[in-house]
Amino acid sequence: MPRLGWLGRYLWGGWASATGIFCLFALWQFGSEVYGGFVLPTPLRTFAEIATIVQGPVFRDVAAQTCMRTFLGFALAAGLGGLAGAVAGYSVAAMRLLKPVVAVILSVPQISWIILVMIWFGATGTTPVITVTVAALPISFAGALEGVATRDRSLDAMARVYGVGPLRRFATITVPHLLSYLFPAWTITAGTAWKVAVMAELLANAGGIGGELATARTMFDIPQVTAWTVIVATFALITDYGILHPLRESLESWRRAGQPRDAAP
Amino acid sequence: MKLSLEGIGHGFLGRPLLEDVSLILNDGEIVSLVGPSGCGKTTLLAIAVGLIDPLRGRVRRLYNRHAMVFQEPRLLPWLSARDNIAYGLVPRGLSRLRCRDVAAAKARAVGLGQMDWNKYPAELSGGMRQRVAIARALAVQPDIMYLDEPFSSLDVGLKRILQDLVVRMAREEGFSGLFVTHDLVEAVRVADRIAVLSSRHRGIVEVRTVPGRPGERDERMVFDLVERWSRDAVFAELFDGEGRCL
Ligand SMILES: Nc1ncnc2c1ncn2[C@@H]1O[C@H](COP(=O)(O)OP(=O)(O)OP(=O)(O)O)[C@@H](O)[C@H]1O
Ligand SMILES: [Mg+2]
Repeated sequence: MPRLGWLGRYLWGGWASATGIFCLFALWQFGSEVYGGFVLPTPLRTFAEIATIVQGPVFRDVAAQTCMRTFLGFALAAGLGGLAGAVAGYSVAAMRLLKPVVAVILSVPQISWIILVMIWFGATGTTPVITVTVAALPISFAGALEGVATRDRSLDAMARVYGVGPLRRFATITVPHLLSYLFPAWTITAGTAWKVAVMAELLANAGGIGGELATARTMFDIPQVTAWTVIVATFALITDYGILHPLRESLESWRRAGQPRDAAP
Repeated sequence: MKLSLEGIGHGFLGRPLLEDVSLILNDGEIVSLVGPSGCGKTTLLAIAVGLIDPLRGRVRRLYNRHAMVFQEPRLLPWLSARDNIAYGLVPRGLSRLRCRDVAAAKARAVGLGQMDWNKYPAELSGGMRQRVAIARALAVQPDIMYLDEPFSSLDVGLKRILQDLVVRMAREEGFSGLFVTHDLVEAVRVADRIAVLSSRHRGIVEVRTVPGRPGERDERMVFDLVERWSRDAVFAELFDGEGRCL
């Protein structure tokens, strides 16, 4: 029953979001009528193009390739960044050491990373993966650091009195608190990951959706460009609203408890 | 004998707080630790329970299990009341089902209705949260229960109910209690003996035996005793502003 209520709320929220998206399509249509279909293909033209692409022979492989790279880069960033951030949160010395490193990583332009990694690893699939990792890692790091540093030490003391071991304390006290810092970080990270992966693919000539975009550009095939753009945006939205949001909702259902009944977002 | 503190000395940042403090807690006995704010009651309790290693002296714990009720409930916000009660059982390696049974029994013992068992702490009132904290302490079947001003934020009526509950459970389950409070009425109600901690002397200045048995004293007698003792020089620090280290 609570599951059903949750699903109802989620779908209702989805309905509201859909309205916003259709407003965007209307604006797009308007723009393409003003500037002409060659500069900005209409939504309908784009969706026809998407249908062709999706039914085409390369779509599965190309999309899977980019998905794989984004996911791998994201997982590496979330894992390494989260781990390093957690360690830094526990140890002041590690924090002093790692914070400037991460600050430097964060301030290096992503395009420089792409070029550097391209030179180091060549035009292979490694380039997008590493670029995504480097672009997304600092955000995860900062989230984990903040989460561990602000953990409730009084709860930790309570658990110690009851003889709960360090691993168990980490899992039952620190992690649930940490998640509320990591999820916002991951939401940002996931969005960045898709964009950076495609950009790296395009510049490194490493196939995937970025490779398709490069081809479309050389052919001056604008509908092809808008179509792939919409596809990538859809993938990013699916990652956020299809995976991260439901995951967060189910892991953090306790957060809604105690809030005024009608204050649900 | 359950617990023996021998010549405990401690301080923070070079400032001495406790010097040569000794206290013994016997089987089935409740000792109240009273003293003005900032005199080191919480610190002494933390030393007894093992959260702080004292700089000097020795703590002998002649028991298997202890439990503690803190001034704040210290419940995990992401666990239901029932799972919070079972939290202390985690290291015991009991089956999930067994944990839930114990938790349900203790929830009932502290007066939490079944409709509240699945609520999160945020959905409980302050009094209910402190009940959950007591139930969590009871669930581990402690030999000693440490209580650090557990009811100071509750109203007088609820305070009494929970004091009586702790005294009754201690009797029924045979655990000893070390009950920190700054409220002399509370101390007189729940304790067999009262140890008075002074910040001026950095230690226990007197241990007094309260006549009668905890939970069986009538309100009149408690009132008269507190009235008489509050004029006593030993308890003066509890009531006046002097000698407090704020
Ligand atoms: N971790 C700590 N670091 C530094 N000083 C501390 C620490 N813990 C306690 N103190 C100091 O030790 C003194 C005694 O603190 P404690 O919490 O034991 O007092 P208390 O008797 O429990 O007071 P209250 O009745 O207000 O709870 C205080 O002056 C406090 O500032
Ligand atoms: Mg205290």
